[in-house]
Amino acid sequence: MDASGAALRFTHEEWPYEPKFKQVNGWRMHYVDEGIGDPVVLLHGNPGWGFLYRKFIKPLTAAGRRVIVPDMIGFGLSEKPVREQAHTLDGHIANLTGLLRQLDVRNTTIVCHDWGGPTGLGFALSNPDRVRALIIMSTWAWPLPPAEFHKRIFPWRMMHAPLVGPCLLGRHNALAGRGMYLSVVDRKKFRAEAQSVYENILPDPASRLLTWTWPRWIPLDESARGLARFEWLERELRKSKLPTLLVWGREDEVFDHKTFATRFKELLPHAEGPELVTGRHFLQEDSGEEIAGKINGFLDRIEGR
Amino acid sequence: MTTMHVIENPTLEGKRRAFVLAEDRVGHYPEFREFFVKRFSLDANALSRPGYVLAPSGMVYALVFIGRSGEPFPDGIEVYALPDALEPLNDPEIDADLWALLRWMIAGVGGAWRVEDLDATGRLYQLSVAAGA
Repeated sequence: MDASGAALRFTHEEWPYEPKFKQVNGWRMHYVDEGIGDPVVLLHGNPGWGFLYRKFIKPLTAAGRRVIVPDMIGFGLSEKPVREQAHTLDGHIANLTGLLRQLDVRNTTIVCHDWGGPTGLGFALSNPDRVRALIIMSTWAWPLPPAEFHKRIFPWRMMHAPLVGPCLLGRHNALAGRGMYLSVVDRKKFRAEAQSVYENILPDPASRLLTWTWPRWIPLDESARGLARFEWLERELRKSKLPTLLVWGREDEVFDHKTFATRFKELLPHAEGPELVTGRHFLQEDSGEEIAGKINGFLDRIEGR
Repeated sequence: MTTMHVIENPTLEGKRRAFVLAEDRVGHYPEFREFFVKRFSLDANALSRPGYVLAPSGMVYALVFIGRSGEPFPDGIEVYALPDALEPLNDPEIDADLWALLRWMIAGVGGAWRVEDLDATGRLYQLSVAAGA
């Protein structure tokens, strides 16, 4: 524990990794850094943390790759600001950029999911000299329209509405527990192996602030915060020639592949995929090893191995 | 009593303010801000006093409205229970009161926001306070 009571180490049979920390924008950012080779950066979203990629690290490092798994500021073992105003999309892109520049990564593959998409792609598109490939999973990178799921009051908009979000997601930790449970295919396995890990890493209401703040950053109309950044993301992504692989959960009901993977394919016609795997939104939980294998295969091809 | 009642001048002597919830962005959906502005006459009262509500448990809560430069008022709300000064809170009772506060707020916001959807959301996420709602 540090002075604020935050956990600085997490022990689990599937997470034997040494915690590492860097200061970025004044915050303490946790990451793991395993293996030797060109870096592969694995980026989680809401309400996950690096643990979401526990099935990826060994196969990728065994294939001769360096794997870096950061926890967003506000999640996992990273510092958790207690004011909503501490969290902005630009700030999170700058946090990731601060970390990856300190690590001086080059020839990097960015693997992104959920809010790891807008943040990871934001880094990639503003640091093109450091990035050589993209793996995109269950996310988006344009201003509008939102997913049908995100337009509905029940349950999405209600869940993070004023005062409801701090109560339901803060006091009751609804997203890291039941929310993730509802967004995997094999719920029994998830409950037995992982649910408590995601719940316990956010032990107190104040530590869960980003779970209801991130939903408020999803653009629903032209008045949304972050709209200009999403417009920039879409514009720059359309210019990207980076080798890209799309991987999607076949059962994803939030960012359904027919809408979202198809739109990425329109933006990035050269992208491979979408490779469909068993999975709802948190496809890493259902198909972690399989996706890691697809990443290795894709990188082997572009490396000419 | 199952709902909240706005009260004007609760007895504060011998009580303490016990923080229970904070909302940093009450205007995320502007109709929520408007509800509090109208319900507590904030255009006139502004920061002069908290809003007080009496909850189903009999606990009085203070709603402290927060202003932030450049943002419409109020920008945030802090919710405080007012228990006897040296007494701990009864957490299940607080949870039930907060759910009643949310139901009262959603009913007041109205329009597309329905208490039925709040209760259904609570049940989806298996909140015991929403189970019987």
